[in-house]
Amino acid sequence: MAETRKKRFARPSMELVVGAVLITLIVLSALFAHQLFPEGFDRIDLMSRLTPPFLKSIHPLGSDPLGRDVLARVVAGGRISLLVGITSVIGAVTLGVTIGLIAGFYRGVTDMLMMRFVDIQLALPFILLAITFIAILGGSLLNTIILLIVSQWVQYARLVRGQVLALRDREFILAARAIGVKDWRIIVQHLLPNLTGPVIVLMTLNVANNILLESSLTFLGLGVDPTIPSWGGMLAEGRSYLQTAWWVSVFPGLAIMLTVLGLNLLGDWMRDHLDPTGKTSI
Amino acid sequence: MAGFIVKRLLQAIFATLVVTLLVSYAIRMTGDPALMLTQGAGSITEADLVRIREALGVNQPFFVQYFGFLRDMVTFDFGRSFLGGTSVAVLIGGALPSTLVLAFWSMLISIAFSIPLGITAAVHKNKALDQVIRVISLVGLSFPNFWLAIMLVLVFSITWNILPPSGMSGWLSYIMPAVTMGVILMAVNVRLVRTTMLETLSSQYIMVARAKGLSETKVLYKHALRNCAIPLITYMGLQFGGLLGGIVVIERVFNWPGMGTLAFDAVGARDYPVLQASIMVLSLLIIIVNLLVDIIYGLVDPRIRTE
Amino acid sequence: MKRFLKNTAAVAVIALAGMGAFSSSSMAAGKLSVSVALDPGSWDPIDTFLVAWGAVGSNLFDGLTERDTNAKLHPGLATSWDVLDDGVRIRFKLREGVKFHNGEPFNAEAVKFTFDRLLGDIGAKGPQRANYTSVKSVEIIDDYTVDFHLHQPDPVLLTKLAGYGAMIVPPKYIAEKGEDYFNTHPVGTGPFSFVSYEPKVDLELAANADYWGDKPKVSELEYRFISELTTAVAELQAGRVDIVEDLPISMLPVVKGDGKLDVMSTTGPAVYGLRFNTRDGITADVNVRKAIVMAVDRATIIKSLLAGEAEEIASFQSSLSFGNDPELKPLPYNPEEAKKLLKDAGVAPGAEVQIDIRAGNPTFNEVVQAVGAYLQTVGLKAVIKPYENSVFLNDIVPQGKTGALFQQSWGGWTLDYDNTAYLLYHTGQKWNPYGSDEKLNAMLEEQRPMTDVAKREVLLKGIAAYIANDVLEMPLYSLKAIYGVNKRVEGFVPAPDNRIKLNTVSVKE
Repeated sequence: MAETRKKRFARPSMELVVGAVLITLIVLSALFAHQLFPEGFDRIDLMSRLTPPFLKSIHPLGSDPLGRDVLARVVAGGRISLLVGITSVIGAVTLGVTIGLIAGFYRGVTDMLMMRFVDIQLALPFILLAITFIAILGGSLLNTIILLIVSQWVQYARLVRGQVLALRDREFILAARAIGVKDWRIIVQHLLPNLTGPVIVLMTLNVANNILLESSLTFLGLGVDPTIPSWGGMLAEGRSYLQTAWWVSVFPGLAIMLTVLGLNLLGDWMRDHLDPTGKTSI
Repeated sequence: MAGFIVKRLLQAIFATLVVTLLVSYAIRMTGDPALMLTQGAGSITEADLVRIREALGVNQPFFVQYFGFLRDMVTFDFGRSFLGGTSVAVLIGGALPSTLVLAFWSMLISIAFSIPLGITAAVHKNKALDQVIRVISLVGLSFPNFWLAIMLVLVFSITWNILPPSGMSGWLSYIMPAVTMGVILMAVNVRLVRTTMLETLSSQYIMVARAKGLSETKVLYKHALRNCAIPLITYMGLQFGGLLGGIVVIERVFNWPGMGTLAFDAVGARDYPVLQASIMVLSLLIIIVNLLVDIIYGLVDPRIRTE
Repeated sequence: MKRFLKNTAAVAVIALAGMGAFSSSSMAAGKLSVSVALDPGSWDPIDTFLVAWGAVGSNLFDGLTERDTNAKLHPGLATSWDVLDDGVRIRFKLREGVKFHNGEPFNAEAVKFTFDRLLGDIGAKGPQRANYTSVKSVEIIDDYTVDFHLHQPDPVLLTKLAGYGAMIVPPKYIAEKGEDYFNTHPVGTGPFSFVSYEPKVDLELAANADYWGDKPKVSELEYRFISELTTAVAELQAGRVDIVEDLPISMLPVVKGDGKLDVMSTTGPAVYGLRFNTRDGITADVNVRKAIVMAVDRATIIKSLLAGEAEEIASFQSSLSFGNDPELKPLPYNPEEAKKLLKDAGVAPGAEVQIDIRAGNPTFNEVVQAVGAYLQTVGLKAVIKPYENSVFLNDIVPQGKTGALFQQSWGGWTLDYDNTAYLLYHTGQKWNPYGSDEKLNAMLEEQRPMTDVAKREVLLKGIAAYIANDVLEMPLYSLKAIYGVNKRVEGFVPAPDNRIKLNTVSVKE
């Protein structure tokens, strides 16, 4: 077993390479957006509206209806997408793992309450509710993130609780308890390391998922507000120009696809390697 | 088993109450429907607004309104839309079948493609064909569905003019919305079929079948597939909620006269009765489907019940 | 099944309409399909203010007066009228021999019923009544003469009688079938009669061969509810819809580039602008307001962003509006002067100016972004803050919680500056969160009851000039009413509002 594992690590798969390259490119461009585009992404120039791509060096991917640079906006949009994707997942993980650990480790009232909550949340048509709520409360960056956290923490909580329940009665934990090791130490030293694999896989896939959801919401006019350059927003704005200036919406569309694909490829590869028992598989 | 079903039913009722309470309360935070109705009016006095609020019944305290809504629901009286006073039952009666039909075809398309693809991938595990199928299914999963929808309209309606760009009129109009939803579902289902197939194929039961000298097609599509059916059905049941969520977006793009369009328009118009009732109906639908899945699963795998 | 029933019903009606056409002189043929953004849910005239209703309602119903595509008033179901008793009584002579679609005769009884209903308990539940509160009662003089008694003179009433809540409805039909049935099975006197209605999908009408005016030239008229304009344009391109109203500017090139389609536009009543918070911050200073207006090149915005499908305005009304003064010029574009004014007013470079807008209007959103860019050039930092519609209209503007500037768009369908100005500038009005100017109040009040048209116009022009001088707003443009039309449609004349009567339109097969 150990041998086959080593072998698999030794031969990097296509999934890993493509995924890693895509994500590295996107993350780097998002991080260095200000250095790459010192002029910023919202410089309006009514004299050069809707310039086609690949013609002028100042607008390599063309310009939008306000004469803003599409490339700079796609990169800026990446920052927003990654921000939403990553913060919401971090929020959900923090909440979910904490509650899952407590529930699984101590059982009792917390566990009961949590499981009731999980039952309800699983019975609810969550995406539908999310869309309803954000339509009612109004879309904003913060609302979108909160919504994604609320909708996803349960996944982590369930995963962690299940793992903890399986581990808590194992000998090494019982032994640690018997010699008086503090609870938090047991959690940090013995339980958490066993959880990282599946949790990281789930996180990667959820970042991808959240980027898609955010762009859908924004496209419907329910996500981040239209003055912030986001991929979903650019698609919505560019939609009516699709037949006359395809580049305004095609490039942000491609950006979403490549980012999500990259994350899915990575997640998929990681699932094979970090979570061989398949706790996170569908 | 009876105890399990009762427990689940109670949970379902409780969940429905939670949903309707939340939605009813939230929509009332968006503001006054009387103001919405009079938006184009030249001169509106406070007296006019009071009069309209009274007619709509939104002048009462929240819980009075909410319990009134619940009471009406129990008697299957869905109330009237604030917009024009149309019976909500009539609106839902028109919209629900449209959504369900679309959901049905989406699922069918996804199953029709994901089963052969998933099985092929499993059979050729880790070979080139498997890799290709896996990557294709990942690409399908990476498309924003609304984007795919717009692209399809551009090609099939505007460039070639062979499919209607929107609306629900004749079987041709089903193709693009169902394919859009189907592609997303397919991407997930291919992977599911592949995984369960791999497990089944390594089981003794299949080895016995093979040893008996049955043809490979028969082994795969009869014996192995039957074994995969339960996890597939279960998972598709669980997908149902997500599918309806996705349909809301797709209905918007294709101007599909379904529940999504109904609920979405109702939010915009502050049409409390329509929104409450449509969310309630959709929630119930999803809850019932989940419940059925649980029951099927519980019947097949008794371990579930005890957890 | 439902669809099947509907189709058979439609076939039956078409057959009937066809037979009717044989007996009448004009042959109506072909089907016209129009996209409408919203389904009003009820076709009863008193239930809604939606423009979508107005578009359809004008073809189902008639008012006593009628407004043509040039926004001029003509006789409708009333053939003539006299304003009596200093404007508190109006006598209408009614058209004889007109029948509702169900065969019921139109007469004074129907007029009285319509207004008793509108002003009574039924009307009290709906929004339309508020528009007709100046009417005290309707008195039947004889079968074809009625007197309207008013509480006070209402200069806009005759215009209001041409649309919406004042459309005449059939008393017997409503009494027999009930209010609910009428909502979804409307009967009027208009050029087209009801065939079928499927909520959120479509409304189908058939030619009314007995129409009192120009007989319809198409036998079928279908309104399809399509909320997304991009979808509506796709339908137009696919040839499944013949007319799309309110074509977005961004899609003009698409429609123009399609050989089968035409873009038709005409000056419309809708105006757009940004108003100032005159109470707080730097915009309390009239010179700062002036500078902000002068910093923005409105002509270029209209030319490039709006493809020329808009007109510059100097006050909050379009050139069609009663009270518009073509002599009144907007402040010129002059960034140098603007910088100087800002400097003199002691505004520090980089000062922040918040612009509040309604989310969901992509064209105006683009315009505001451009405005923001212009403000940047004179050293102001524009921050655009979009709000959800209902929040903006109820919690932000009326409560006086806006930034330095905020969006104001106005439909202005009555085409009378009074209707706009009073609500926007008189103290205590919902749309006037900041200003309180006794002199302006007096001017607004003075013109209201006036029946002398010429004198009232002079006063309205004075009000517009006064407001422009005090720079209470940055008037931006009046948007044209833009239609995308299939070339097979003949005789279509774009109307300033969406209320187009389609009886003079025909289609080539």
